Amino acid sequence: MLKAKNRLGIVFFPAYDWAISPTHPEREERLLYTQDQLQEEGVFDIEGITEHKPDVAQPDDVSRVHFCIPNVLAVTTESHMISAGGAIKAARLVMEGAADKAFALVRPPGHHAMKVVHGSRGFCSINIEAVMIEHIREHYGQKRIAIVDTDCHHGDGTQDIYWHDPNTLFISIHQDGRTLYPGTGFIEDSGGPNARNKTINIPLPPETCDEGFIQVIDNVVLPILADFKPDLVVNSAGQDNHYSDPITNMKFTAQGYALLNHKLNPHIAVLEGGYSIQGALPYVNCGIALAMAGLDFSALREPDYDPVWLKQDKSVTERITQVSAKILEQYFGPAQSRQFEPGTFVTREKDIFYDTDMISEHQRELVMVCCDCAGLIVVKTSSTVNSPAVCIEVPLGACDRCRDEGIRLLEEARKDGDYRHIKFINRRDKIYLP
Amino acid sequence: MFMRIGLDVGGTHTDAVLVGKEGIVSSSKVVTEHDDLLNSVLSALREILGNVDPKRIEAITLSTTLTTNALLEEKADQVGVIVSSGPGIDPAYHRIGDAYFVVDGSIDHRGEERKPLDRRQLEEAVASCREQGIRAYAVATKFSTRNPSHELQMESIIDRDADVITAGNRLSGGLNLPRRINTAYFNSAVWRIFNEFAYAVAEGISELGLSAPINVLKADGGTMTFAASRNVPVQSILSGPAASIMGIAALCEIDRDAVVLDIGGTSTDIAVFAAGSPLIEREGISLHSRPTLVRSLKTESIAVGGDSILRISSGKVTVGPDRSGPCMAAGGNRPALLDALNIAGETAFGDVEASRRGISDLALKAGSSSGEIAGEAIDKAVQAITAAVRSMIDETNERPLYTVHELLHADKIVPSRLFIIGGPAVAFSRSLSQAFALETTVPKLHGVANAIGAALTRSTMDIELFADTEREVLLVPRLSVQKSIGRNYSLEDARLAAEQYLLASVEAADAADVQVVEASTFNMMHGSRMAGRNIRVRSQIKPGLLQSYLNSVRSSC
Repeated sequence: MLKAKNRLGIVFFPAYDWAISPTHPEREERLLYTQDQLQEEGVFDIEGITEHKPDVAQPDDVSRVHFCIPNVLAVTTESHMISAGGAIKAARLVMEGAADKAFALVRPPGHHAMKVVHGSRGFCSINIEAVMIEHIREHYGQKRIAIVDTDCHHGDGTQDIYWHDPNTLFISIHQDGRTLYPGTGFIEDSGGPNARNKTINIPLPPETCDEGFIQVIDNVVLPILADFKPDLVVNSAGQDNHYSDPITNMKFTAQGYALLNHKLNPHIAVLEGGYSIQGALPYVNCGIALAMAGLDFSALREPDYDPVWLKQDKSVTERITQVSAKILEQYFGPAQSRQFEPGTFVTREKDIFYDTDMISEHQRELVMVCCDCAGLIVVKTSSTVNSPAVCIEVPLGACDRCRDEGIRLLEEARKDGDYRHIKFINRRDKIYLP
Repeated sequence: MFMRIGLDVGGTHTDAVLVGKEGIVSSSKVVTEHDDLLNSVLSALREILGNVDPKRIEAITLSTTLTTNALLEEKADQVGVIVSSGPGIDPAYHRIGDAYFVVDGSIDHRGEERKPLDRRQLEEAVASCREQGIRAYAVATKFSTRNPSHELQMESIIDRDADVITAGNRLSGGLNLPRRINTAYFNSAVWRIFNEFAYAVAEGISELGLSAPINVLKADGGTMTFAASRNVPVQSILSGPAASIMGIAALCEIDRDAVVLDIGGTSTDIAVFAAGSPLIEREGISLHSRPTLVRSLKTESIAVGGDSILRISSGKVTVGPDRSGPCMAAGGNRPALLDALNIAGETAFGDVEASRRGISDLALKAGSSSGEIAGEAIDKAVQAITAAVRSMIDETNERPLYTVHELLHADKIVPSRLFIIGGPAVAFSRSLSQAFALETTVPKLHGVANAIGAALTRSTMDIELFADTEREVLLVPRLSVQKSIGRNYSLEDARLAAEQYLLASVEAADAADVQVVEASTFNMMHGSRMAGRNIRVRSQIKPGLLQSYLNSVRSSC
């Protein structure tokens, strides 16, 4: 009989009554065959593995992370609140010691949802990992947290949310943005002025196989994690690198996903994308569950697994070696001198397209350069569906200057009346004006 | 006019009851003779029948721990277990018994064959079993409920070497290969012993001139025909607790959330009713800590009973978990929980003076008074029971749900009544009523509730139906149905078909008793093209009681 080495809590929520639209890939039966496979393998009967019901995320859980315009209710459905609640439940299991590790097998996904939310993009409305992580920090204290996003698409939403946060290391391994949605996630994109090198992008060439993924885990991800020394490691476990995925071009296998997870050894994994619902998800999810529980996954293979076809081309290996070297040089090489003056604002202009809801947004984001905290953030945004809004965030652990300046800007915005929506997140004093 | 017999062959006693439409006609309790179960059955039946005309008996329902005991006492047969799983968790981890073989072959979650069964490996496994003199077999393959062809091939190859072959897909439509292996194994292991007993019971009953149909109670509170039970004896395992639970539901009208406690000498069994129905184990019970696909009423057992030994440990009283014969009031030589209840004035059972001696010895050791010791022991026992009930309810309220609607709207269980049966029920009722703060009832006929439950339980059945309109196939694994369907087959068609299959397989059931437990349909997409629908319906004849008899026994609650 099998006995898990690590106590693993699985929060399984397939949302069998929710879809974006009747023929959309993010649809009702996405986890149906995964449930079949996990049940048939007897995974939930293994000693040490337990199945749990998700929490329902509360509006506050969303408003401490996102600026939702016009409001939280308008951009989310009950299903989003349950999916985020599933991630929160996974975190609670680990934080409260009911499990050593937890896997939130929930949908809809979240990693394309950015700080400001006007609607749904890349099938995501709210960022379920970020909602989970900030729930952890609010209830269990400030933590250094690393997110390793192994979805095939660049985790642009998570990157946007943590771009300025020095306490969150975000690593995204994805198919090169020149060949796939959302077209971002290049090596040079490595974090804002207060969080240099806290964003790591690892763009991989199409046709990357198990060998290539394991190569970057061993040579890039693990050394950077060892340097960052996180309290908690979260895996955004998208499964669309699989060779059978209909919308990507990689050659990763269930065996590879399990090995990756085994090496990464995350505390919490959260399902992201993955739309090969019959050929990949049943096997990949089973592999991740076994790896997290510390169980033998060596006999796990897809029925059509072909080792010859799944062998990595030499040119792909060479390309990955170059990418790895460049990232390591950027991270571990001599530090660039600080280019910005503390106490001044650095500005980014962004045009964001919400492909799922067909919304265009323009935003100007300002961050206070600060040596004492993550820095005050001000975002001015407007979109094809919403009138102009100003959003102000005083970060967790903010210094007095950033907090006071944030409050002053809030009062000024109220007086001016230039904005239809004024949003305020004050993490230091736990005040949220959603 | 008509009467029914309930017979519960338990580990200690064999209980029988004769119930008519006017109430309980007679009941009996004889000691179970483990070496001659047939004789126990016959003497219990003779006692209740008296001069009643055997022709007036319309049905006999049997519940037994025979199969459970065979497993516990290692009297079960050796079984050749042959498994095929394809890729996934290594099936070597599911090994059960001493003759376990894995052969190549693979079927996927859609029921498509991905690799043919390896006939040569299968023949080698059978040859090895033959050498060991094995005549009982269990076969199970992954996803055999979606496509049983590999199990069928195994059956046909093993056929002439076997007295019994249990094929996993015939036991349950549920997914779970390890449970399927275990269930098939247990079924073949107890097959011979159950059938020898069944043969003897049939002989004995006809000797008494009874010609009524015999049903066998299952662990889920339903029944199966005597004939069916001979193929699936595993379903009769652990029907004892089911008999008690159905008994209390017969004696008392339970129409909301409630807790039922069956307090015995060694242990207390806990059951929970939600909106009037007993809770069911989600997938099945465990035997020898092996999970199975045997559907069962959900019960928890804790080691607190009337004979639980009391001890003093660093000045404090401990209760159980063991028992050393009866309590002192009943002639035992160590003070037990019932002795404490005697001292506290909760009951006046047996030799109260003996209880007083035992408890005052303990008081002396602890440097305290008999009253305090008795009170402390009862508090401990009550706390253990309330904690176990609370965790069982919490666990049920935490059960995973898979749709947004269910998750937001599911009712939580909040018990409003407490029912207590079993020997020391009355002695415990005041303290437990206080601890639970619930309206508490001890039904008058609680001593034979189990036999009454067996007598009045009606026939049940459940099936799962799968339809795949892309492959144009419909499966009902429980009934070995596999037929082709059209591409326009709908969920409504599936519901109706499930109902018809059920009604055709259970006598005297009508459509009102059919309950659709789950019904879902999923569009299967290939890219953005709809390739077909995957339809799943699970229906059952609700476990329940024969309404026409209930009025007569309810007066005893």
